[in-house]
Amino acid sequence: MKLEKDDLIKLYKNMVLGRKIDMITIEGLATGKVTSFFHSGQGSEGLAAGVASFLRDDDYLYAHHRGHGIVYLISKGCSGMEFLAEHYGFAGGCSKGISGFHSVDPAHGIMGSSGTIGSQFPLTLGWGLACKKNGRGQVAVGCFGDGSSNRGTLHEAFNLAAVWKLPIVWVCDNNGVAQYTPIADAYPKEDIADLAAGYDMPGVVVDGMDVLAVHEVVQAAVARARAGEGPSLIEAKTLRYRTHSEGSPDVFHFEPRPPELVEAWKKRDPIKSFAEKLLAQKVLTPQDIEKIDQELQAEADEMDRLATASGKPDPAIMADMIYAE
Amino acid sequence: MKDTVFVMAINEALREELTRDEKVFIIGEDVQQGTFGTTGGLVQQFGKERIMDTPLAETAVAGSAIGSAMAGYRPVADMMFADFMWIAGDEIFLKAAKWHFLHAGKVNVPIVFMGAIGGGFKLGAEHSQCPEAAVMHTPGLKLVIPSTPYDAKGLLKTAIRDNNPVVFFYHKALLGFAGQIPEEEYTIPFGVADIKREGTDVTVVATGMMVHHALAAAEQLKDRISLEVIDPRTLEPFDIDTIVKSVEKTSRAVVVDEDTLRCGVTGEIAAQIMEKAFDYLDAPVQRVAAANMPIPGGYMEEHALPQPKDIIAAVEALMG
Repeated sequence: MKLEKDDLIKLYKNMVLGRKIDMITIEGLATGKVTSFFHSGQGSEGLAAGVASFLRDDDYLYAHHRGHGIVYLISKGCSGMEFLAEHYGFAGGCSKGISGFHSVDPAHGIMGSSGTIGSQFPLTLGWGLACKKNGRGQVAVGCFGDGSSNRGTLHEAFNLAAVWKLPIVWVCDNNGVAQYTPIADAYPKEDIADLAAGYDMPGVVVDGMDVLAVHEVVQAAVARARAGEGPSLIEAKTLRYRTHSEGSPDVFHFEPRPPELVEAWKKRDPIKSFAEKLLAQKVLTPQDIEKIDQELQAEADEMDRLATASGKPDPAIMADMIYAE
Repeated sequence: MKDTVFVMAINEALREELTRDEKVFIIGEDVQQGTFGTTGGLVQQFGKERIMDTPLAETAVAGSAIGSAMAGYRPVADMMFADFMWIAGDEIFLKAAKWHFLHAGKVNVPIVFMGAIGGGFKLGAEHSQCPEAAVMHTPGLKLVIPSTPYDAKGLLKTAIRDNNPVVFFYHKALLGFAGQIPEEEYTIPFGVADIKREGTDVTVVATGMMVHHALAAAEQLKDRISLEVIDPRTLEPFDIDTIVKSVEKTSRAVVVDEDTLRCGVTGEIAAQIMEKAFDYLDAPVQRVAAANMPIPGGYMEEHALPQPKDIIAAVEALMG
């Protein structure tokens, strides 16, 4: 698809708003509002918006766990307020405060999120199978990280998705480190995309800091999937700006992650670099950028206010939630 | 009524539900042929799209079923041996069981996980287990263990129509067991125990193959001691009321299960009897279950798994 001005602005806004909500969540941890933990997604906004901004509502998406999926979620049409409220353990959360951080929004193809890394592979396989059975041109997008790529579930799901020619797009956010383990010590090759060859599917590497580049390869893979030509693998190279989980040490194994590495990648920040591109192409003016920033900050603050106002859930709701009617 | 055998009762339930609801499909390793015969002959009628053979990939089998169930299908995931459920532990125990709750009821996971349980064939520690305690222990899962062809068919049809993940265990040694089922369609509700033999002296609670061991014990003891054999049929939901009512009459109870004794189903049931029928009891509840060891193969198997004589010994201990 050719991106019109509004599409470009939509991509930009999804990235900016997502980062603002990410920052509010971090702040919520510091103030005690967030009840569990948080794995910031800063640095991967370009990838997330590029993947999720132009999917159909009935396409399934398993968001990457970085940022607890926030940029993916708002790009797919989900509520940022519900995301925040869930993290606050409040009644306004997408899971009514029951999960504490798991996102769900079936109307937008978000069927849940997991606490175990690597479980997205078999589940996405199932959504892809349903898409194929439905025959309505839906796709399932399964996002995972360099860490999850080490799980055996990847093989079972990649293999069957290829054998069954399922409409699945696998997207790897290779940010170079899984908790404290650098990818170089967890995978023998340079590119995780090379795995695709073993399953007879296309595998491409893309610059995850470039939202337009991501958008382009994702659209190609989605088109292929919708046409019934089977799954694809996309590997986006990104960098995790912050530590694994807020408050945990930022290390490779046990030694500090080189600060110059992070600084070097931050120079290519996906939001900043896209803004520069939009300015250069005269899609936006500096005033527009400033205005968007202010509007989205107000929007995010309002989400925070509403999430907070929703208050603690009634524990009585749990008893009826264990089994479906 | 018509004559059938256990395996055909399962097969008939699957055939009827596949016919009734196009969202039902079966997925698993070699289900088109059917390792135990339960799914045999279905592919000829329903095609490969609905009777789906998979390669050897348990997490993918379970994941395919869970994902498609959330997306509106009603898969029956055949895990072949119940022991193999452990391979898909994340999928079955963390995803299927918890996602409805975790996501505030916004997603349903209507699946039947089928698996063959039990010993008697000297297949060793990883093909003979009855992983009942783990399933009953896990909120979000339902657990069905039929002991007769009639129960198998009626309960499986209910399981397929249930909007929750249901684990359906059938005992390998019962597959050839003959019985009668109605000509017309029927279902059996979950959570309703069935009294398999009425008696007055001791209540024996058992499922699956252990029902038949209990009935054998009852027959051997009939001139001296009268056993009432109760089959809960589903361990979740669990019908404690029928058991309490029986204990009110007999004042004594033995709980039998083929899963391991330690932290097993027998402990849970015995505790519930103690909590709800304490005043009726004349003696402590007795438990008969598999020994606290991995199930051995070969000739030692029978020494690890509960036998009718163990039930008789427990009953005699109760009667003093």
